[in-house]
Amino acid sequence: MPERAPSWEEHVPSGRLTGRRILITGAGSGIGRRTAQVFASEGAALALLDVNPQAVAEAAAEIGAATCPADVSDEAQVAEAVGQAAATLGGIDGVVNAAGITVTGLLGDTDFATWRRAMSINLDGTFLVCRACLPWLRQASAATIVNIASGQALLPGASLSAYAASKGGVLTLTRALAVELAPLIRVNAICPGIVDTPMARGAALAAAPDLSRYALRRMATPLEIAQSLLFLTGRESAFVTGVALAVDGGRTFH
Amino acid sequence: MAGTLDGKVAVVTGGANGIGRASALRFAVEGASVAVLDLEEAPLQEIAEVIRADGSRVLPIALDLTDRPTVVDAFARIRGELGPVDVLLNNVGQTAREKITEFWRSEPETWDFVVNVSLMTTLMCSRQVVPDMRERKQGKIVSIASESPFAGDANIADYCAAKMGVVGFTRALARELAPFGVNVNAVAPGATNTRGPRRMPDDALARVVAQIPMGQMCEPEDIANAVAFLASDQARFVTGQTLFVNGGRVFH
Repeated sequence: MPERAPSWEEHVPSGRLTGRRILITGAGSGIGRRTAQVFASEGAALALLDVNPQAVAEAAAEIGAATCPADVSDEAQVAEAVGQAAATLGGIDGVVNAAGITVTGLLGDTDFATWRRAMSINLDGTFLVCRACLPWLRQASAATIVNIASGQALLPGASLSAYAASKGGVLTLTRALAVELAPLIRVNAICPGIVDTPMARGAALAAAPDLSRYALRRMATPLEIAQSLLFLTGRESAFVTGVALAVDGGRTFH
Repeated sequence: MAGTLDGKVAVVTGGANGIGRASALRFAVEGASVAVLDLEEAPLQEIAEVIRADGSRVLPIALDLTDRPTVVDAFARIRGELGPVDVLLNNVGQTAREKITEFWRSEPETWDFVVNVSLMTTLMCSRQVVPDMRERKQGKIVSIASESPFAGDANIADYCAAKMGVVGFTRALARELAPFGVNVNAVAPGATNTRGPRRMPDDALARVVAQIPMGQMCEPEDIANAVAFLASDQARFVTGQTLFVNGGRVFH
């Protein structure tokens, strides 16, 4: 393995989101929280949404962002939270849908409630947040949606069928919206592999992650996912829409 | 402001015009010394002047990139004058241009040319920089592919074959070089506002643009932005990928 550079976990901001008003879901922990830190450093005004009010309050306090606690799978809560975010920020120019859960289990061991939970948070949640934000995104210039799908949507492994199917839905929704909302709103997806977050560590208690499937032989850091989200949210990707950018250390070779 | 490529050495093939030119300019802005390789002497000297005037180090080399001994010499010169290469952009490539035609009418000599200039140059130039990258355990290789093989665009079957070759090469090299901390990726542009599409008849160009959800052609700077992202450490966990910059015309 190459030696890690001293700046490995640092982000060097360059004002790439100055003046942008962005809603981040799942911002209380993991990818969402790291993304909030990076986006704040790039000059964005942020509203942070998470199902855990305490976690999102802590994340917001770190960076001086607004909070709107909500369960993304609850239509009424999403409508209220997004309305609150838009009122606080004075509009919404971009959305990052990072709220999500992992469920594991072979098909025969996956009960219907587990399947429904993956679908409702990962897929219903993405749909509900995108739809609730649409009126504000339509008024914005250079509006963006970036969804967190998964490498499992591109190249599924065993014991993850419910999760993979929910993320496959997120990816197809991304592409459908890219066509429907162009040229006003760009819609893209990131497909991470395993990322070093509390969610992954929780799943890893059941089974150690098999890093031999990843050419780089390690997990992604949340920062590495956040920096790709930054590329797809910023103006540098002005002509990029409908893509599935795999940030997975060389597993899917998409 | 700190650039993402401060102190690095970057090489751009086909760097005098279009996507290559925009990328070379961007590398210079990000702080790299840039070697620009191209067949066309006049635009090559022009971009070298622009980069020099901006205060960056530039090494323009006029050459035929399909001439292998010349390519070997050029990379030896880059190493000698600028140092080992940190970033290689394999950009050179083209369709059969005025000889574009349905496959059944096409000539093998034309395929040889198109595959040589669009695929074999990518292998040849990568071959020159990979030993140093392995040794130094760092480096980024970005190659320009195309959305065309994914769309199955008609009348350029040879070009589609070559560009899909670039995608396959990218994936295999990414796997080989991952243990050495070297990232290998491709960018797949859609129709880009460069000389190629500008040569098309107006009605043919309008048909292409009508297929793009974003409603316009890609600008060379859009591609340069994606290249700059993949060439930076911000994309250090991205490898073996093909990033589409095509306004949503084809999904992959």
